[in-house]
Amino acid sequence: MRNLFNVAIFTIKDMIRRKSFIISNIIILLIIVALFNIPNILKLFNNGKDFDANAKLLIVDENNVFDGKLDVIKEIGINGYDIEVSNDSIEYEKIKEKIDNKEYDEAIMVDSFENTISIQYIVENLMYVDSVPEEIISAISSTYTNIQIQKLNLSKEELLSITPNFELNLTQTEEKEVEGNNFVMMLLSIVLFYAIYFCAYQVSTSITTEKTSKIIETLVTSTSPKTIVLGKTIGIGIIGLIQIAVMIITAFISKTLFLEEGILDSFINFDNITPSLLVITLIYFLLGYAAYALIYALTGSTVSKPEEVQSANGPVAILAVIGFYLSYFTMMNPTSNLNEIAALLPISSPFCMPFRIMMGLAETKDIVFSIGILLVTIFIVAKVSIKIYSSAILNYGSKLSLKDIVRIYKNKND
Amino acid sequence: MELGKTTTIRMILGIIKKDSGKITWNDKQVERKNVNFGYLPEERGIYPKIKVYEQMMYFAKLKGMKVKEADIEIKKWADKLKVSEYLNMPAEKLSKGNQQKVQFMTAILHSPELLILDEPFSGLDPVNTEIVKNVIIELVKNGKYIIMSSHQMSSIEEFCSDVLILNKGKTVLKGNLREIKNKYPANRVEICSKQNIENIIKEQNLDICFSKDNDYEVKINSEEDGYKLYKKLAENNSDILKFEIKKPSLNDIFIEKVGDK
Repeated sequence: MRNLFNVAIFTIKDMIRRKSFIISNIIILLIIVALFNIPNILKLFNNGKDFDANAKLLIVDENNVFDGKLDVIKEIGINGYDIEVSNDSIEYEKIKEKIDNKEYDEAIMVDSFENTISIQYIVENLMYVDSVPEEIISAISSTYTNIQIQKLNLSKEELLSITPNFELNLTQTEEKEVEGNNFVMMLLSIVLFYAIYFCAYQVSTSITTEKTSKIIETLVTSTSPKTIVLGKTIGIGIIGLIQIAVMIITAFISKTLFLEEGILDSFINFDNITPSLLVITLIYFLLGYAAYALIYALTGSTVSKPEEVQSANGPVAILAVIGFYLSYFTMMNPTSNLNEIAALLPISSPFCMPFRIMMGLAETKDIVFSIGILLVTIFIVAKVSIKIYSSAILNYGSKLSLKDIVRIYKNKND
Repeated sequence: MELGKTTTIRMILGIIKKDSGKITWNDKQVERKNVNFGYLPEERGIYPKIKVYEQMMYFAKLKGMKVKEADIEIKKWADKLKVSEYLNMPAEKLSKGNQQKVQFMTAILHSPELLILDEPFSGLDPVNTEIVKNVIIELVKNGKYIIMSSHQMSSIEEFCSDVLILNKGKTVLKGNLREIKNKYPANRVEICSKQNIENIIKEQNLDICFSKDNDYEVKINSEEDGYKLYKKLAENNSDILKFEIKKPSLNDIFIEKVGDK
């Protein structure tokens, strides 16, 4: 037990001193800070104007198509626009000049002929506009309709019968209710996948480094292979947890310092990030990490050169990606039966179970069953990995094939 | 040469599985929990980025030493092996010889009763070889048992009382070194003289294996040949600085046992 602690502590010290580790973490933290500064960066490129500031829209109705009542549209308002209405005669060239001078961002010229109302939409470059400004067209069209209805002098009842209030009710036929914040949970699943995958990968690299530096022979005579594998797994797991904590803290500080309050509310409901979500996520991170890390311990011990690590880890990476996509597809369709399989399979359950639990899709027995399967998997993988590690680690020849690994395992069991 | 030394050592230490048989030390199976052993592997390995002191402390702790006790031992052996000034340096900055001495330290720090050294002198310069030799002599004086594996027969002759010669994993010779050597008759004479004595040797119908600056190595068939030659040199009033009748060296025995096979 004491040696397990010694190996874990030594692994942590060794890892955090590596230049590659320090540099990659600094880059990740800088990316996080940069992401939270996107609005400020966009502002810089937008002549100091907020990227989300309202665009200035000029509507010109020189022929009084709207009977001089177009000002009503300002009261109705169009999301994202500050509107100015003009009934003066302004030539296209003049409008172009105003847009070029940034006096206005966009302009609309309204005219009518026969039974058609033409709307000429003028913008500096159509690339800057996401799509046809349907909201503007709809606002202009409903303003025009209202003006025309008012001309008919209808009674209140007649007016109500033309424009009734619609009440929308949604009902689902399935019993399971999906609740919570889908976006947050998907984000969490992606973060879980990368955290588990990259931390587990480090175990393989660490083992191969010890093997290639030939220190392993001294090490295996100083403590048992079991202690080395488990100690490394624990050490790197602790580093992974610290990394995630540092990233979350950096993200939180960046959000507080650089983002306007409420800007993320439309994407993320922070009320959904409860202590129970954090505990469940932590449990699945630890279990998922342990399962993948122990497989990586096995692959790491089968190679003799650092450049072979990637090819040896290839099959495990494929397994992890299948697990991730399995959980990702089920997130797209949370009530499908595939979701139940993904929640039980040890390769995918760490990524999708927190999502299912928080969405209210998993019952207690599902959680117990899924954690049980993961624990059994970890136990089996640990047993096999340690057995193969203790034999393969002193093989300095070429990379071991699957056949060699099976032979080693059988020999160890004899 | 694939003789099977390292494999045998790995089996002794339980690093690799043996096909059959039993390996015991004082009636106990040689395992970490039963026997306090130290091991210097043939493959030189060290954590390159980690400071020497730190890795020494790590291995000392793994072998059950307390921090204070380990600190004293690290400093003591670093001083004896002349690596004190490198303790706070990353191991990769040390010369190969010093790295080897550091690795040797990890094998002896915890005061093992049984010390297994696989090619302890390979790659060491004469100064460092002497330093390591002195430490080994000190360990033997302190009652430690040493199993040494080497291709350098002179080192084995210098340190070992019992030998085992392997060839392709099979034992070709084993036993007490002196007894083994006694079984072989004297086969050469080493002479160091002040003048050229080549003619006197040839008069005795003996072959000169080697000669340089009045130093000679002469092949003999028995000790009797040696005595006769000595007598003849005395009769000729030759100024002899050294005259030694020699039995075959371990190197000769090794070549005889392994060379043809």
